[in-house]
Amino acid sequence: MSAIAAIAVNTFRESVRDKVLYNLVLFAVLIMGASYLIGQLTAGQDVKIIKDLGLSATAVFGLFIAVFIGIGLVSKEVERRSVYALLAKPIHRYQLVLGKYCGLVLTLTVNVAVMAATFYLVLAYMAYGASPDAVRAWDAPALDPALLKAVALILVELALVTAIAVFFSTFSTPILSAALTFGLYVAGHFSSDLRNFQDVVDSPSAARLARGLYWVLPNLAQFDIKADVVHGQYVPPGYLVMTTVYAAFYIGMLLVASMLVFSRRDFK
Amino acid sequence: MHALVTHELTKDYAVGFWRARQRRALDGLTLDVEAGEVFGFLGPNGAGKTTTLKLLMQLVFPSSGTAEMLGRPLGDLSVKRRIGYLPENPYFYDYLTAEELLTYFAGLFNLRGADRRARVSRLLDEVGIGGERRLQLRKFSKGMLQRVGIAQALLNEPDLVIFDEPMSGLDPLGRRDVRSLILRLRDRGCTVFFSSHVLSDAEALCSRVAILAKGRLRASGRLTDMVPFRASGWELVVAGVSDAAIAALGSRLRHAVRIGEDRFTLDLPLDPPPERVVGELTAAGAHLVSLNPIRQTLEDFFVEQVTS
Amino acid sequence: MAGAVQVQATRERLYPPPAESEGDLYMRSGAALRRLTGAYNALGADVYWIRAIQYFGGTKRRLAAVRGTEPPPMIARDEYTLLYPLLDITTALDPRFNIAYRFGAVFLAEPYPGGPGRPDLAIALLEKGLRDRPDKWEYMEDIGFVHYWYLHDYGAAARWFGRASEVPGAPWWLKSLAATTLAAGGDRQSSRVMWQAIRQSAEVDWLRQDADRRLAQLRALDEMDQLQSVIDAFVQRTGRPPSGWAELVRIRALRGVPLDPSMTPYETSAEGRVRLSTASKLWPLPEEPKRSGVPVP
Repeated sequence: MSAIAAIAVNTFRESVRDKVLYNLVLFAVLIMGASYLIGQLTAGQDVKIIKDLGLSATAVFGLFIAVFIGIGLVSKEVERRSVYALLAKPIHRYQLVLGKYCGLVLTLTVNVAVMAATFYLVLAYMAYGASPDAVRAWDAPALDPALLKAVALILVELALVTAIAVFFSTFSTPILSAALTFGLYVAGHFSSDLRNFQDVVDSPSAARLARGLYWVLPNLAQFDIKADVVHGQYVPPGYLVMTTVYAAFYIGMLLVASMLVFSRRDFK
Repeated sequence: MHALVTHELTKDYAVGFWRARQRRALDGLTLDVEAGEVFGFLGPNGAGKTTTLKLLMQLVFPSSGTAEMLGRPLGDLSVKRRIGYLPENPYFYDYLTAEELLTYFAGLFNLRGADRRARVSRLLDEVGIGGERRLQLRKFSKGMLQRVGIAQALLNEPDLVIFDEPMSGLDPLGRRDVRSLILRLRDRGCTVFFSSHVLSDAEALCSRVAILAKGRLRASGRLTDMVPFRASGWELVVAGVSDAAIAALGSRLRHAVRIGEDRFTLDLPLDPPPERVVGELTAAGAHLVSLNPIRQTLEDFFVEQVTS
Repeated sequence: MAGAVQVQATRERLYPPPAESEGDLYMRSGAALRRLTGAYNALGADVYWIRAIQYFGGTKRRLAAVRGTEPPPMIARDEYTLLYPLLDITTALDPRFNIAYRFGAVFLAEPYPGGPGRPDLAIALLEKGLRDRPDKWEYMEDIGFVHYWYLHDYGAAARWFGRASEVPGAPWWLKSLAATTLAAGGDRQSSRVMWQAIRQSAEVDWLRQDADRRLAQLRALDEMDQLQSVIDAFVQRTGRPPSGWAELVRIRALRGVPLDPSMTPYETSAEGRVRLSTASKLWPLPEEPKRSGVPVP
């Protein structure tokens, strides 16, 4: 257990020293710049747009970090052979996989948390400067705590994408891993189309196949409650719990598979 | 008591696009290493030395055969607490400093706090990079990385160390340091098993060696027992000697090479003992520069074994 | 770097890039764009909303710059063709984008050259919004007012106001608005009542200012009636139309050059008809076909 923690902390340290967290600077600039500019452009919709932009940017930046670091987590160690010295220590191979995964999730959590804080600061500034009529017109308050629900689900989705990336990283090259992970990400967002395939296609076997795929592929669209939260729709806690549990199962499956693959590998 | 034993250890790799063919990297290796000795595992590049060490460290899995380290079979995790490993051309994490790396690894041995700090510091000094402890590893030269590698292998004060090419990348000073370190380890009772293709190191350090080529064991045992290492003649270097004196030696001389105006290297047979010749020449006014037995070197033996 | 900049500048001088046409909207299918933007639908809607506003505002400004040179035709030309598609996409990407529906409808119904003059599209957009949120009484009210103000279909307007008033949570004055419309639709006074109602339900400054402008236009119509009667009296007395306001001021029929509610002077035509200056912010005035006797300026 402490081995996993030690490896996780080291992985976090690696991303910090690789200056990954500088993406936060870009994010801050983006959000603040946008909030300044769009006030002129949008006939009073600035808060909605900033919320949309903030949440979307958090998701996108997080996605890139999850994929581009995730695909190298294990493969880089193996390719550079730093894994030799590490595995000579009294640790199980699976502890290495878990430790790396937890380290990246830690990085993502910190990243998302800072983004959420920046985002709330910008919204607070906008709320401070808004006229009472504008405030009345908003679908949801500027400093809506429900935004955190959307942020939380974004983080859960990122944890799932990271698990996918790590899984591929245990046996595949970085480029292929990136392609496969992004591919699954896109497929996961279109999974609802698969569900309704029978409405579109005549062949029942194709529809059955599509249905099967729908259940198997990770359904990522369910983590997207950005639009709901921005428009002030209530998202029940039950929904949050169920989607998180789904993610937990899926992540568990991917990690077990990763650990198995990694445990059997010859490091040539 | 054996520190390390292998029995018919074999490794095949599947090669080719569809993984159809097999390439045998190690074929039925059987050897043993006694506790407390320094054992040299020699062979040319590609012989299978690194494969063997990786099999021992469970980085690859054997196709057949068994091995034991410190009495425990392969795959036993607890034995890794008592073993140190230095991989070939080690690479560690660029972004860490030497101190941080050792601290991290020490943590994996469950060392903590002041104990850990003290040990890390001591080891850094012992391998000679105490001054660079706060420098990021990306700035380290090859030789410095090698030293870090050795340090991390000794963190847990192991009973058995396995070094893959420990002298690689070191300048003569570094090699001397590593040699003396290996001897110190031996004196502490640690068993040292190292692979190398630099034979002079093996000659200087090892009590026993094994020679591997193309995946198969060619020879193993005490250096001195290996027949070819007996002397086959003498090499005498003298100065201040005249050509006539050389000629006078006649059939007692196998060969003579002039290496200066009045300096010669003489190749003498084993019998009669060379003291006689030395006496004659010095009586004639020459003086002795050096007298050495001619032995088939490990290198000659090696080349012979490996190319057969 | 400097070299590259120089070459670029020279090239642009020699081969000027084609004037960027505003009328390019490559993707018109809301459904396709929805798929394309995936989890980022709302942000895509925001982008298209900004585009719609820029397009509308830019076209409006461009036309205002050439205003006053000749009386414009009543039929909208093709300057605003992209407005509906842009709004359609915006609302397809985010069906709950409230302001896109309401402002969008206002933009679309606005007569040329202030807008494309397409009240039918305005209603279509609002009805689309209602399909997704049948309880939005504001959209029903907006449809009612489009019928009233632009289509002059007072019966339909009253029906929509009535429907709006039946939605739970709708304000009480909608019922009286429905009644007034039915009884006296087209009457300037009932229009005034309607605009005041709109002004009250306005959710943002922009809508309120628009309602204020309408009310100012109604005031202008009242003033023009009064001025016309002054001129008519003059014609009766002298047998000819006055040469201008100055003449009327001299004979003390007026106290000064009359200004409309936006502080721009009214004009007289050679035949003695009062009209609103085309330079006025209130121009063009709304049509009032039910009102007899006063021709549309």
